[in-house]
Amino acid sequence: MKSEAILVELNRRAPAEIGSHKRALKFLLTLATTLVLVGILIQALVVVHVRPQEFITGFHGMADFLRRANPPDVSQFDLMLWPALETIDIALFGTLAGIIMALPLAVLGARNVTPALPLYYLARGIIAYCRSVPDLVWALLFVTAVGLGPFPGGCAVAVHSIGMLGRLFSEVIEDMDMGPVEAMTLTGASRLQVFTHAVVPSVAPSLLGIGLYRFDENLRSSLVLGFVGAGGLGFQLLTAMSLFQYRTVSLLLIITFVLVMGAERISAALRRRVL
Amino acid sequence: MLEVVNLSKRYPTGRVALRQANLKVEAGELVIVLGSNGSGKSTLLRCVARLIDPTEGEVRIANHDMTRLKGRDLRRARTALAMISQHGNLVKRRSVLANVACGALGRITDWRSRFGMLPAEELEAAHRYLAEVSLQEFWAQRASTLSGGQAQRCAIARALAQRPKVLLADEPVASLDPEAAEDIMRLLRRLASEDKLAVVCVLHQPALAMRYADRVVGIKDGMVEFDLPAAEAQRHDLSALYAARAA
Repeated sequence: MKSEAILVELNRRAPAEIGSHKRALKFLLTLATTLVLVGILIQALVVVHVRPQEFITGFHGMADFLRRANPPDVSQFDLMLWPALETIDIALFGTLAGIIMALPLAVLGARNVTPALPLYYLARGIIAYCRSVPDLVWALLFVTAVGLGPFPGGCAVAVHSIGMLGRLFSEVIEDMDMGPVEAMTLTGASRLQVFTHAVVPSVAPSLLGIGLYRFDENLRSSLVLGFVGAGGLGFQLLTAMSLFQYRTVSLLLIITFVLVMGAERISAALRRRVL
Repeated sequence: MLEVVNLSKRYPTGRVALRQANLKVEAGELVIVLGSNGSGKSTLLRCVARLIDPTEGEVRIANHDMTRLKGRDLRRARTALAMISQHGNLVKRRSVLANVACGALGRITDWRSRFGMLPAEELEAAHRYLAEVSLQEFWAQRASTLSGGQAQRCAIARALAQRPKVLLADEPVASLDPEAAEDIMRLLRRLASEDKLAVVCVLHQPALAMRYADRVVGIKDGMVEFDLPAAEAQRHDLSALYAARAA
């Protein structure tokens, strides 16, 4: 009788005690997570040698640079048009070549439409490799292979785009509604007919949107690629910096800003139309 | 026309979805398959269409055993069989006309069809099939703008463009209002009676089944429980078909 009474008492207490244990555990877990996050942040600050005081001590240098960079040297404007066109065309060539090469890889690398599993792994491997090597490194490799100029820049942008576009394209294909594909398969259509009549119309707007976004990204990349000799405005910027022609640097930065903003606006407007 | 012999399907998980199912449907017949969710009705249709491979058994359509065919032979045999599903499975960004004309892809050998183009004569024929399902005025619209009932009729028109001998319908009225559902069932009935198609339709509405079917087949736990003329099926205790699952 006594033991039964103890059991009843324990059962009465149990929910409240379990609740307090849960709360304590939750608190400890939150504390541990916070400590880990703070630890990660501190190690990042240490590793990158964060020295905010340098902004104050370096203020004079920055002010001197701004003084010498103004006003922008607009007399150089017509000389910068060709490098600006080169920059746009590096991005354009890289994006188009990237799309053309990424599309078949994306089809092979999409689990729901790939014709064979080994091809899936091969395509995914190529896509991952192209993506994992930064475009700047690709540019260095192509400059070594084909020499200075915009062509290695275009090649670098194209190869890096294969990696980025290939992955996004294959994810879009994997997420598509397979109903129309099944319906076309049942008409007796060939694999290629199913692809062109069911897969392409279903995913084309998304792919086009991704392609336009990639052009926008590639334009920014192509500016940096000039620093390693791959032509365009980046190369002009590097030269002007090396020769301390800060007013030319200023002009180049304005042209860059206009190009990037223009591409961003145009790409966003086109994306809105196709999606 | 369509003969299913001892058809079984065991999934890799070990679940047996279909056990020794037998079914025979003649040209001009509308056979409605009833059964609870997970009883194996859709698996039966998907095995017949070879969207999934059966574990054993035969599916004969016009004297071809579909289960033995592969590659080009399978594609050729599939042209005799059309299937419509619950949501129509239309390519939403294409026009209604292009969707219907795509039904003919199995017999189009024109190289342009491999690059997303459709021959003018098939587009012309698609207008006739759209007229058959009373959708002719919608031909230029995008498929995404159609209502549920219209999308289903468009899917039927695409099936007709295929000029099949057998039409499979997997819950074609599941997402439709009663009026649209009656409309689709009348259309299936007409295709069986007038166009002499062998129609197999999976439904969840016994009342519709009794009204439109020539024969009603009951499936429970992957097995064909009964296969009766509609008049006799009306007297059959259908609650047993759904009871086990509910328990």
